[in-house]
Amino acid sequence: MNPEKRIGPKRRRVLDAINHRPPDGVPIDFGGSATTGMHVSCVAKLRDYYGLEKRLVKVCEPFQMLGLIEDDLKEAIGVDVAPLMGRGTFFGFDNRDWKPWTFNGLEVLVPDGFRTTVEPEKGGTLIYPKGDLKARPSGRMPKDGFFFDAIIRQKPIDLDHLDPSDNTEQYQPLTEAQLDEIEEDARARGNREYAVFASLANTNLGDIAWVPGPDLIEPKGVRDVAEWYMLTASRPDILHKIFERQVEVGVANLAKIHDRLGDDAIDVIFLCGADFGTQTSSFCSVRTFDSLWKPHYAEVCDWIHKNTPWKTFKHSCGSSERFFESMIDAGIDIINPVQCSAKGMDPRMLKEKYRGRLVFWGGGVDTQRTLPFGAPAEVRAEVIERCEVFSQSGGFVFNAIHNVQANTPVENMVAMFEAVKDFNGRS
Amino acid sequence: MALSQRLFDAIVDGKAQLAQSLVEEELRAGADPLALLSETMIAAMDEVGKLFQEEEFFVPELLLSARAMKAAMEPLRPLLAAKGAKPAGVVVAGAVKGDLHDIGKNLVTSMLEGAGFQVIDLGSDVAPEAFVAAIRERHPQIVCLSALLTVTMEAMRATIAAIEAAGLRRNVKILVGGAPLTERYATEIGADGYGATASDAVALARRCVGQFN
Repeated sequence: MNPEKRIGPKRRRVLDAINHRPPDGVPIDFGGSATTGMHVSCVAKLRDYYGLEKRLVKVCEPFQMLGLIEDDLKEAIGVDVAPLMGRGTFFGFDNRDWKPWTFNGLEVLVPDGFRTTVEPEKGGTLIYPKGDLKARPSGRMPKDGFFFDAIIRQKPIDLDHLDPSDNTEQYQPLTEAQLDEIEEDARARGNREYAVFASLANTNLGDIAWVPGPDLIEPKGVRDVAEWYMLTASRPDILHKIFERQVEVGVANLAKIHDRLGDDAIDVIFLCGADFGTQTSSFCSVRTFDSLWKPHYAEVCDWIHKNTPWKTFKHSCGSSERFFESMIDAGIDIINPVQCSAKGMDPRMLKEKYRGRLVFWGGGVDTQRTLPFGAPAEVRAEVIERCEVFSQSGGFVFNAIHNVQANTPVENMVAMFEAVKDFNGRS
Repeated sequence: MALSQRLFDAIVDGKAQLAQSLVEEELRAGADPLALLSETMIAAMDEVGKLFQEEEFFVPELLLSARAMKAAMEPLRPLLAAKGAKPAGVVVAGAVKGDLHDIGKNLVTSMLEGAGFQVIDLGSDVAPEAFVAAIRERHPQIVCLSALLTVTMEAMRATIAAIEAAGLRRNVKILVGGAPLTERYATEIGADGYGATASDAVALARRCVGQFN
């Protein structure tokens, strides 16, 4: 079939936006990736609000407890993007064989590998790598908490004698069985109504969520978050070796995925989730980024751009603007979450400076204040303002700034969706 | 180069083993532990704070220098205790209930220790009653509360309320910090100070101690 005939309005909207052509409306992503989703409790509340078929929500990403946004809810919200994530999870078990689980009074569905115990003293929930209850737990959710944090299981290490391969255990070639599953999931999309956002190759270079090895039974190497950050300044030689191996495996995996699925199955590919910004500054200088990360990002992006039509998506929380020129130079097409509440991330400045060169995927509403704590009218006003600023000449896909957190009032979420729809109706 | 300059540089450059061995060398040469601490080591950490504010240093460099300072303190600590040296102040610090993120809190405690404060670090996911207990047992002048998440920052309000209910509010100055916080929120919940960065915490803590004195 001619690929052009398969492009429906939702996918067309996204393709226009990410190619800097004015689309027929601002495209919307919720649930396309692990950084553009919603807490499972929010998904459950929305299903109730919209009167959708009563069924338990699947936790599709257990680390952050993100809920699967199924097609009926996508339709209600107006979502244009569908995820293609593979079946693996942060904790090393697969999304399969679903079972009910209750937390904070909410019953959800979790995969069979999601196995937990309760801490006797503090009452927190412990979760285990690969679902192995005999292993040390690799994640903890505090009592009454909403998601897990990694437990640091750092073995004693000799900083003068580090083996880079200890930090690449997680990054393995995709097996034929995994590729079969990816192909099965991609084909299940059928007529490609949605734009497809793939998170498959794990080219996460220094993404701090992966550093502790939450998916490993016995992580070796540098697994303590503070030690890792120190390595970026004290031992860039070690990091280069780790990143080289990751890129080697990642690019080979991308090639396998492309061979299996072809050009048309994917529109956007998740490159890396490493955060370079903080609320008020950054984790390193641009000089460090250019020497330590940029060449490796460039290698992955070069392969993608030479061999596929896919766009590359980089997540980086916080005050990240100082890195944008370097990221563009490395071949990054899309930036997320566009944390406008961080220093130096004014929306108008960002659009003016990077129009036509960088797609803003996010930035839709402040998730630190407005969306969780503001009135619906404040949410609406901010969303419309962000749409007005970011959507000029394409280059914008609407998402809140990072995942919508638990305890976000349903009326605020609905105000957000309705504001984008109204903006699209007006323009 | 003078020994003290080499020690200063070792701390600023984050060379932990070198910093410790230079302290040992200084002590063997007869250096006064208190003078070494205040004139060289704390001065080095103040320089680190300045470089962080100027964005010459970032989180990794701060962590390296904090580790170097901690290593340098090891041979010094027993001598300071023997001299009856008092810390610049006593601080109880922790990430509030429900919050497991501690990098920011650890940076603050490192900078405070580097500035000569005694810090009692309660860790993360600290219940209000644990803060109250620590205030009763350790008599700090300052309590530092940290939260990274919008879903946990309200625990700061509950913690301050618990300290008030225990009749201890006037005994301490409460400083708050963390990504989702603002000066306005800090005022709203009744904190005495808000710091946007780890360096701010040191300046605030010094002012607070001055207010008690």
